[in-house]
Amino acid sequence: MPLSDAHNTTANALETQGIGKRFGGFWAVKDVTFSVKPGERRAILGPNGAGKTSLFNILTGDYKASAGSIRLFGEDVTKQSIPKRINRGLRRTYQHAYLFDGLSVRDTLFLAVAGIRGGWRQVLPVRLSDPRRAEAERLAEVAGITQFLDRMVSDLSHGQRRQLEIGIALAEDPKVLLLDEPAAGLSPAERPQLSKLLLSLPKEVTVILIEHDMDIAFQTSESVTVLFNGELMAEGTPDEVMADKDVHQIYVGGAHGH
Amino acid sequence: MKYLLILIPMALLPLVLNDFWLSQVLTRALIMGTIALSLSFLATYLGVVSFAQVTLAGVAGYAIAYFGPNTVGVGVPLPLIVTIPLALILAMAAGAMMGYIARRSRGIYAIMITLAIGVAFFYFTRQNYVLFNGFTGFSGVIAPALGEGNWGDPKPLYFLSLIVAAICVGLVQGFVRSPLGLAVQAVRDAPGRLLALGIPTTLPIVAAFAFSGLIAGSGGILNVWFQERVSSFSVGFGPIIDILIISVIGGLRHPTGAFVGAIVYVVLDIFAIDLIDRDRFNLLIGIVLLLIIVAAPNGLTQLITDGAKKLRGGAAKSRTT
Ligand SMILES: Nc1ncnc2c1ncn2[C@@H]1O[C@H](COP(=O)(O)OP(=O)(O)OP(=O)(O)O)[C@@H](O)[C@H]1O
Ligand SMILES: [Mg+2]
Repeated sequence: MPLSDAHNTTANALETQGIGKRFGGFWAVKDVTFSVKPGERRAILGPNGAGKTSLFNILTGDYKASAGSIRLFGEDVTKQSIPKRINRGLRRTYQHAYLFDGLSVRDTLFLAVAGIRGGWRQVLPVRLSDPRRAEAERLAEVAGITQFLDRMVSDLSHGQRRQLEIGIALAEDPKVLLLDEPAAGLSPAERPQLSKLLLSLPKEVTVILIEHDMDIAFQTSESVTVLFNGELMAEGTPDEVMADKDVHQIYVGGAHGH
Repeated sequence: MKYLLILIPMALLPLVLNDFWLSQVLTRALIMGTIALSLSFLATYLGVVSFAQVTLAGVAGYAIAYFGPNTVGVGVPLPLIVTIPLALILAMAAGAMMGYIARRSRGIYAIMITLAIGVAFFYFTRQNYVLFNGFTGFSGVIAPALGEGNWGDPKPLYFLSLIVAAICVGLVQGFVRSPLGLAVQAVRDAPGRLLALGIPTTLPIVAAFAFSGLIAGSGGILNVWFQERVSSFSVGFGPIIDILIISVIGGLRHPTGAFVGAIVYVVLDIFAIDLIDRDRFNLLIGIVLLLIIVAAPNGLTQLITDGAKKLRGGAAKSRTT
């Protein structure tokens, strides 16, 4: 595609062309082509091992794609480093909370702001009062963990850790947010709170959400992509997808359903 | 502020203690404690156990000897205001280099790499005569003049060591709260996550090692003034193990524990010789170490703070009832 395309305002927020990831002889993700419009809320469904997390890892650069290409707002990022993609506005949360246990919530959010703002240069200044501190507090508020700002991450509950993950992902003006099962392990009481948080995200933010909880997925998303055995199986509105015979098979008749 | 509760009594000790206690027990413990602090800092905040902190101290010590007065006729004497910063910068540079080499290593691998660096430096000092004066090293390395005497005399050196130790503790506390210090702790907890935030892990690792070089180097400078000499023996296996033992006794999770460990170690060292012969000292310290590891896996400092907490908790309870 021509270079001028990179700043095309009508470009999709995210667009993949035949991407795949191979481990040995096994394709965890295979020939996936899909696109998400700016501001769209997309749910990704699929049974365990379908390749959902691997797909995220390819999108963020945690995994090098074995095949295909990825465009972020029209720009080819397939070979870009993780920090570059972060710079372009791509953020993620992790399925298995992967946090700094020995730091406080405040310091974790501070590092997130600092790192995303400018990488290593941002950790060099030693100033004590710091505008990034205020930004960290704002994130805690958005994520609903203000009262835990000074708690050690290791002392947080599972649900609070999830909220912190989202707080980190929201640092510095995200444009595309990849959320990997944010509701996993939450108590029934915590789930509506998460839905509320997801619905309260700024409209212009594109959200791609991996979720086993259908309620949360359908409440917060206008479109759905279903992966199965690494491949794209169905795509459409929630109603369309649920009406799909194959999808029905794996979710209702299948052995994998959650 | 609670440190003042320790510092003020310690500053008054020269009024009641004789020179032997001051020099051979307290000053020595403060110096060894400062070097051990550099190890405890790395272990606590970067999660890496380094066997080469004595090496970093040695780099600074050798720099003081080479660029200052000595009686072996090797080196280039420079003014003191150059020598001291130069010694610290060299120790930091050596630390940074070590950190860069060990940047991908954790656990046993980091231990092996730093041990290899320490041992290589030890043999190098023995074989190199131009910079290190070989096996014999440097002697007659007198501390800067102070009135009639010099800074190496018992009382001045005690105060100097106390101040340096306090500054080093303060520096560690400041560093770990700085953005860079937070990044160091983030490397310890989840390096991949830090990368995912756009912060490369090499910078915090190298910075932590360089910072540990500053602390170890400060101890190394005091040590060469205390001993008035520096040689391959100052950077050999003996001191490497001593510093490790001190850090473990104090507790690797408490940077300031290094000083508790150092006092215990020095007192045992001095008084064990009166009771048993020198060769058995290693047996004694081994047994003490074993007891501490069994009774307090996190070191004496943890044991003390836990005890204090319990006492305070008990006091609070008796007040409410
Ligand atoms: N780094 C890896 N090395 C080897 N195999 C991998 C790796 N990452 C993922 N896989 C394999 O790829 C497949 C898809 O895994 P993935 O984690 O993407 O599934 P998922 O859809 O996220 O499942 P879940 O719902 O359980 O999170 C699995 O068979 C997994 O074992
Ligand atoms: Mg997954």
